Amino acid sequence: MSEKEEGVFRSAEMSLVQLYVPTEISREVLYDIGKLNLIQFRDLNSKISEFQRSFVNELRKLDNVERQYIFFKNELDKKSVELKKYPYEQEFNKICAQSDIDELTENGQLLEDRVGQLIESLYNLYEKEKSLKQFKYSVQSVDNFFKLNASNLPSSHDNEHDHLLNNLESGTQYTSEMNTSSFISGVISRDKVQVLQQILWRVLRGNLFYYTEELPELIYDAKSETKVAKNTFIIFSHGQLIHQRIKKICESLDCDLYNVDSTEDLRSQQLEEINGNLSELDIVLDQTDVALNSELIAISKDLSKWWEIVAREKAVYKIMNRCDYDGSRKTLVAEGWIPKDEIDTLNSTVKQTSNTLPIIVNILETTRTPPTFHRTNKFTAAFQAICDAYGVATYREVNPGLPTVITFPFMFAIMFGDLGHGIILSLAALALVLNEKKIGAMKRDEIFDMAYSGRYILLLMGLFSIYTGFLYNDVFSKSMSFFNSGWKWPEEFEIGDNISAEQIGVYPIGLDPAWHGTENNLLFTNSYKMKLSILMGYLHMSYSYVFSLVNYIHFKSMIDILGNFVPGLLFMQGIFGYLSLCIVYKWSIDWYAIGKQPPGLLNMLISMFLSPGTVEEPLYSGQASIQVILLIVALICVPWLLLLKPLYFKRKFDQEAKYKQLNDDSNDESLVESHEGDDDEEHEEHTFGDIMIHQVIHTIEFCLNCVSHTASYLRLWALSLAHAQLSTVLWTMTIGNAFGATGIAGVLMTVLLFGMWFILTVVILVVMEGTSAMLHSLRLHWVESMSKFFEGEGHPYEPFGFEGLLDEYI
Amino acid sequence: MSGYTVLIVFVLVAVLCGVTWVAAPKENRTVWRSSVILGISMCFLMWAITYLSQLHPLQAPRRADLRPEM
Repeated sequence: MSEKEEGVFRSAEMSLVQLYVPTEISREVLYDIGKLNLIQFRDLNSKISEFQRSFVNELRKLDNVERQYIFFKNELDKKSVELKKYPYEQEFNKICAQSDIDELTENGQLLEDRVGQLIESLYNLYEKEKSLKQFKYSVQSVDNFFKLNASNLPSSHDNEHDHLLNNLESGTQYTSEMNTSSFISGVISRDKVQVLQQILWRVLRGNLFYYTEELPELIYDAKSETKVAKNTFIIFSHGQLIHQRIKKICESLDCDLYNVDSTEDLRSQQLEEINGNLSELDIVLDQTDVALNSELIAISKDLSKWWEIVAREKAVYKIMNRCDYDGSRKTLVAEGWIPKDEIDTLNSTVKQTSNTLPIIVNILETTRTPPTFHRTNKFTAAFQAICDAYGVATYREVNPGLPTVITFPFMFAIMFGDLGHGIILSLAALALVLNEKKIGAMKRDEIFDMAYSGRYILLLMGLFSIYTGFLYNDVFSKSMSFFNSGWKWPEEFEIGDNISAEQIGVYPIGLDPAWHGTENNLLFTNSYKMKLSILMGYLHMSYSYVFSLVNYIHFKSMIDILGNFVPGLLFMQGIFGYLSLCIVYKWSIDWYAIGKQPPGLLNMLISMFLSPGTVEEPLYSGQASIQVILLIVALICVPWLLLLKPLYFKRKFDQEAKYKQLNDDSNDESLVESHEGDDDEEHEEHTFGDIMIHQVIHTIEFCLNCVSHTASYLRLWALSLAHAQLSTVLWTMTIGNAFGATGIAGVLMTVLLFGMWFILTVVILVVMEGTSAMLHSLRLHWVESMSKFFEGEGHPYEPFGFEGLLDEYI
Repeated sequence: MSGYTVLIVFVLVAVLCGVTWVAAPKENRTVWRSSVILGISMCFLMWAITYLSQLHPLQAPRRADLRPEM
């Protein structure tokens, strides 16, 4: 087997292959190909709607099975039964026989019927239990009511209502008038008690007696699957008509009404009967529940296995629906993209599957654009994802994901430079990296999953932050003295004198600690960090810009090199390259030694444009003429960039048109035919107008972007200054206060303020500031760097495989 | 100490990059080469810029809160 292409600097080379598979073994072959996870199948039936394809019936059947499985899963979730997970490798090595699938289908139907039945009967039983319980409580509360009022009777006055009560209790006089009972009793949910009372009061104009009592337990409602607090109520009033109205009102408020007998003996009989029924019901209910539970537990053991089989089967049929048939429907014709160096793997796999029947693998020549496939590993995957989130690279163009591996964390670190914060970040990332297997198997929520998948990014960000923090000489806003300082303070002075240090050398690595805490510290770090960010930005952009040259060379586009790259390079280097060079040159001159005034570089750059030819504070001799030359070059580059490419294409089109005219008569027919061909992507024709407009936009954008993007890198300066200042402020406001105090107060203050300082450091400085620096770094890559070379017009490579089919369900 | 330090370190870093290019492991070669060399270069640049900015400073540190015995 040939050595595999790495496929990370550019996307891997792809080939379009065509497979002729005999129909009898097409399922097996596609299953084996799916296990390889290599081919992205093209849809050969894109003009046919989903419902008219060959395997709609099979898919529908499998969909039904999957629906049943979702139903089981929901029921399992309700009972909080865990699914048993299967180690996939051995179980799914071979495709399931068709008979097994049929068995699964039947089994699914059987189980669904059984589970459905159980659930339904359980529902009915719960309903019955509910009504029995409510009946019981109604009877009890009627009982209670009469007992309560009977004891009150002797002392109460002879009003009509007591009279009525008496008669009722004895059950003699009014029975002929009221055929069932003269009161209405029932159960209502507790939050509607008030409403019922008010409505009744208004409708009957107060002409009633209303009694309510809370139920001692919550009643389970099977419909809403919740337990509801309820009340019993008893309503007394006169007349048949009014009773009808009350009943209607009660029904509209979802009350359950029960006929409770009016005499005590009958009521106790009723109660006995109810209790008997209830205890019987409880037994049946328990049994049914146990039956359902054991059924579900049995299902939970195998469900994930069945589901995986069915999902894979479905995936295979979906692919088969994308394939074509030859005329006699005996062979399946599939087309798909595969990395060129994997064709051998495909061939050997296919051969293994079919011992006797021949399978033909053809490699097709095509003008279609292949999908973009970058081979990544666990280290590069997250960086690639960052770039792919912006746009998928055009096929075979330079992959921005590769330099991003270093530049992204480094740009972050320039803004996040603090040794201490870097260590915290690295340790957190290291914990994720070292435990990646364990954490990888866990269920992760969204935020944690982001940190987990970006763990290598975080690790590099932390490590580079340690380095930049070391260079900035910042550890939790304090400085460190590893080497001898390059500055010497004077020996003799009075307290309170404003003294300046004297230079005796250069601090070898990083910022001199002598600057820490000085009055003009900010003045110096400002100038240093600003120049640092301009130089870094300029280098980052130039580096990215060279990739566009690499692209042009790879795609053999000479006109793009001459018409785009060269003028752009001259323009950018002539202005910002020159500025960067001046910054470094100015640093390398000892201005005090030669006794000259050091020029301000910003003014120099401005006057280079506004008053060319005059230099007020010279940086070097001959500066005026060099600046004029650079300016002229930059000015020439603009029309060069604007016109060369469109004019070249105009000439080419004119020539082609001439050529076409000559051949028009003879070639008419073949042209029509070639246009008819197919299909999903047409290679659009560019006219001169299109190219001109495109180039005008490109020119304006490029020239303006040179300025604005350089300015944009100043965010490196701003954020790193802000970060350093914020950590200084945090130190002085929290733990810095603790160091003066002594005794117990000192101990307490130190401990408490340290805790506060540490928590705030992690939450604000590491997490919040880190997130913001990361977003800024992301922007610098997406906008400032990638705009220099990245086209991003590819489509991603999505091979057919079985990984993660059930992720959304299980 | 002078500006030549930067040039000397540059030569060293360049040699180191060359060694990395040759010695990169076979597997994931491109990633190794690109990442290590780019990382070394950026670290060098950062150091060089910091060093150069302090080579001939136009400012001297100035403070009023020092005590003679320190």
